[in-house]
Amino acid sequence: MEQALILICGIIAIVTAVMVILSRNTVHSAMWMVGNCFIIAVLFLLLHFQFIAILQVIVYAGAIMMFIIYAIMLLNLRRADDSADPLKNLFNGRYLLVGLLFIGIVILGVGFGPMALKGSMTDQAMMKLGEVELLANYIFADGLLPFELVSVLLTAAIVGAVYLAKKN
Amino acid sequence: MVEYLIIPVIKLIVMFSVFLFIAAYTTYMERKFLGHMQMRYGPMRVGFHGLLQPIADGIKNFFKEDVIPENADKAVFVLAPAISIAAAIILLSVIPFGPPIKILGREINLYLANPSIGILFILGFSTLGSYGNILGGWSSGNKYGYMGGLRASAMIISYEISMAFAVVSIIMVTGSFSIVDMVNAQTGLWNVFKQPVAFLVFLISGVAELNRTPFDMPEAESELCCGYNVEYSSMKFALFFLAEYIHMIVFASLVATLFLGGWHGPAFVPGVVWFFLKMFAVIFLCIWVRATFPRLRYDKVMKLEWKFLLPVALLNILATGMVMAVL
Repeated sequence: MEQALILICGIIAIVTAVMVILSRNTVHSAMWMVGNCFIIAVLFLLLHFQFIAILQVIVYAGAIMMFIIYAIMLLNLRRADDSADPLKNLFNGRYLLVGLLFIGIVILGVGFGPMALKGSMTDQAMMKLGEVELLANYIFADGLLPFELVSVLLTAAIVGAVYLAKKN
Repeated sequence: MVEYLIIPVIKLIVMFSVFLFIAAYTTYMERKFLGHMQMRYGPMRVGFHGLLQPIADGIKNFFKEDVIPENADKAVFVLAPAISIAAAIILLSVIPFGPPIKILGREINLYLANPSIGILFILGFSTLGSYGNILGGWSSGNKYGYMGGLRASAMIISYEISMAFAVVSIIMVTGSFSIVDMVNAQTGLWNVFKQPVAFLVFLISGVAELNRTPFDMPEAESELCCGYNVEYSSMKFALFFLAEYIHMIVFASLVATLFLGGWHGPAFVPGVVWFFLKMFAVIFLCIWVRATFPRLRYDKVMKLEWKFLLPVALLNILATGMVMAVL
């Protein structure tokens, strides 16, 4: 039952992701992407990660896609012109290279998949301690240094973006 | 079978009909209160003091002609009200509106679901609901609708942040994401006394997220005709309207559960009554605010959020953390 649901959600996720690049209309693309973020949240839910699922909805489907739609509407992009038709460009050399790279990453990910199952986020541990507590321990005790480094990196990125925008 | 199918279905039907009834009569309440505050009567003709007015409005909306503008994006135009109403109604499922009661020897919890992430569920899906407003405005092919949609997204982006930060301080006090836990933690002292700053920030940004009058940028009549729903008619308009009122009910129940102690109160009336009393008090406050304050200018609305509410909410979190660390 669960396996079948995961398979169905996976197929929907791939279809919505493909529709993002195939839509001619930018707002339609953005909407497909909202759908994609949402279905990935459902996938997390099927893996018993309630907290990560709802974070996916809040952060990606809610906040980030809202920003993207706001930007699209502010620039008033409606339809792409014919030269940018993704279907015609699909078999262009560059796209093919990116596609091959992607397939390689997928193969690597699937190959290393079973190793990832040995982590500390198991169903039993989540039942015992609570999912959020387990995740908090993982981030703020075991992985504090990488977490802080990532936050510094993000701050640097924001400062850089502000600087670039100020110049114009 | 009884536990997992029959009881939830009965609860679903009861909650759905009760809250839709309340939503319909909230429109009546709003018109009546606004009328009396402005020295007029409000609806008076249909039934005793206009009591049947919401039903008459509903029937009228059913029989109106449903127009889809020629240069509208038809699929999105039809989808937008559906997103709006679905995301609004789903929020009702996690709101606890009373202590557990006993019916026929069975313990019945007065909520549909109590996920461990209840409050995040509400924050997430209330944002998704505003896609309905934005896409509705965008797909109409009308410049006023377009501006309304654009403003709706700007409002959501800004006020969602301070609202979430106000909720974070409540999560810190409670130590749980579950809304039922939050109510249970307020048995002695209501959160409004523990977190008065968060209460004010939540109230202001909530009214702003509901797009109600001092902040009703997306549908400012005098600037945008009617905003994002300008091209909508018939039941599609009614769905937007209903979604807005259900959002108001959800907001009022959230204020009641997070800050005003939920179903707690002196025991001479049952907890459900206390909950609904608090909820209607907050709805009345919203109507009162609408009758009192004029609409703010657009840039001032943005300034209020980014230069006042957001820093205050952040400082409040810092102060809460410090107090909790010291105690």
